Amino acid sequence: MRTNLLVSAVLILLLGIVLADFGFFDGARMLRGLRNLGILTSEMLPPDVGVLPVAGMALWETVQMSFAGTLLGFLASLPLSVLGTRNLFSPIISGAARFVAAAIRTIPVLLWAIIFVILVGLGPLAGTLGIGAYTVGYLAKIYADLFEGTDPEVIEAVQSTGASKLHLVRFVFLPEGANAILTQLLFMLEYNVRASSILGFVGAGGIGFVMQIYLQTLEYRRLATVLLLILVVVLAMDGLSGWMRKRFLLTAAQ
Amino acid sequence: MSGIDSNDIALRADDISFAYHDEAWVLKDVSLALPRGKLTMLMGPSGSGKTTLLKVLAGIIKPQHGHVAVLNHAIERQNQKKLSSLIGYIPQQLGLVRNLTAMENVLMGALGRCGHGKTLLGFFPRQEIEQARAALDLMGIGHKGSEMVFRMSGGERQRVAIARTLVQHPQVVLADEFVSDLDLELASEILERMRRAAAQEKITFLMSMHRVGLRDFGDHILTLNNGQVALGSTNSLRSQSSSESSS
Repeated sequence: MRTNLLVSAVLILLLGIVLADFGFFDGARMLRGLRNLGILTSEMLPPDVGVLPVAGMALWETVQMSFAGTLLGFLASLPLSVLGTRNLFSPIISGAARFVAAAIRTIPVLLWAIIFVILVGLGPLAGTLGIGAYTVGYLAKIYADLFEGTDPEVIEAVQSTGASKLHLVRFVFLPEGANAILTQLLFMLEYNVRASSILGFVGAGGIGFVMQIYLQTLEYRRLATVLLLILVVVLAMDGLSGWMRKRFLLTAAQ
Repeated sequence: MSGIDSNDIALRADDISFAYHDEAWVLKDVSLALPRGKLTMLMGPSGSGKTTLLKVLAGIIKPQHGHVAVLNHAIERQNQKKLSSLIGYIPQQLGLVRNLTAMENVLMGALGRCGHGKTLLGFFPRQEIEQARAALDLMGIGHKGSEMVFRMSGGERQRVAIARTLVQHPQVVLADEFVSDLDLELASEILERMRRAAAQEKITFLMSMHRVGLRDFGDHILTLNNGQVALGSTNSLRSQSSSESSS
């Protein structure tokens, strides 16, 4: 109990030091910030709905990029995660696969988008590939850990039928992990819709490009329309993934 | 059991010794022989090493000393596919894939004979499907083939596990305490079906068991105590039973 209190006190102290260093306790500065927030909000209202067709098209492109990138990354992550499963492959193979996944994951999605803009040029293809690459790194790690957690008794029993490693993946790892696989995939899709909103800032297509223009030209009422549209899409994604979970997740008995 | 003709022995283990990570011996110089086409009960108290012995016999873990042979085939020299045609293994928790149907689980018994092509897409040869159906029928759950395993009762799952092993066509089936969680009536029914399967398919069964009340289903009884196997007798088991109940 006393240790918990001590740890909490130390954490709060550290937070205070960091925030003070960044100017969080500078009253005049924060007051100025609040005043600016009021000005910005007043300049954003009412939203300019005249840009809906343009923003809607750009947002549709963002949704397409997220969808394609997530599925592409998902498909590529499966073989990498299988290779990274330590109870299936030797430490050399699984270690190499996990290293590749970690290296991919180290690079943030925005940087991946820049790399693909350089490689394949401006536009949604770069964004899609950037999202796909980040998704591979993330899902490969999650799925490899998931496969490793499969009940060893099930693995032993199916191996004793003469099943190969591919059989094990198809008939044990995938069905046993189906719930978690789908949950993580839906989470990644939701995350990618949000993340891909800013990829247009670096020329990788989608709504980000439109947002950047409105920010640079100080057209905050138009920006407000874009932000509201993104909010609608994110809420729709939440609803869709909730429905999919209910519809497709298996309620396995314990 | 030493009087059995060597041609009638399905599985022979000689001088098996096993310890986990240099700890005390779980099995010490264990030798046994299983008569062909019979149901042998491996009795012994919890923690006596029954699961370890079955895993060694199934080739899942390798002993520090000793050899196991099925129909004179040394198991350490067999690849996984060949081994699967010799030995079937049913773990204590059955090792079923809960998110697949009973039929899909039973068909997994045929994986050692199937290639990768269509099988990976979920398509099995017609004769394998017929065999799986027959195995489910033999277990009395032919009408439950399309039911997901996680929706099935404990007794139905036991039958699915046996059916999967029957489809595998092994010479010897090693089953680990797999009726322990069932009530006596259901456990008796499943053991009776196993006896029938043993006779019909000419399969040798070795079943570990700590419930003395079910020993009579075995044609033969082995007891495992302090890491060593001995021929069991009704009297010794009765005294074991009474000592367990008094403790």
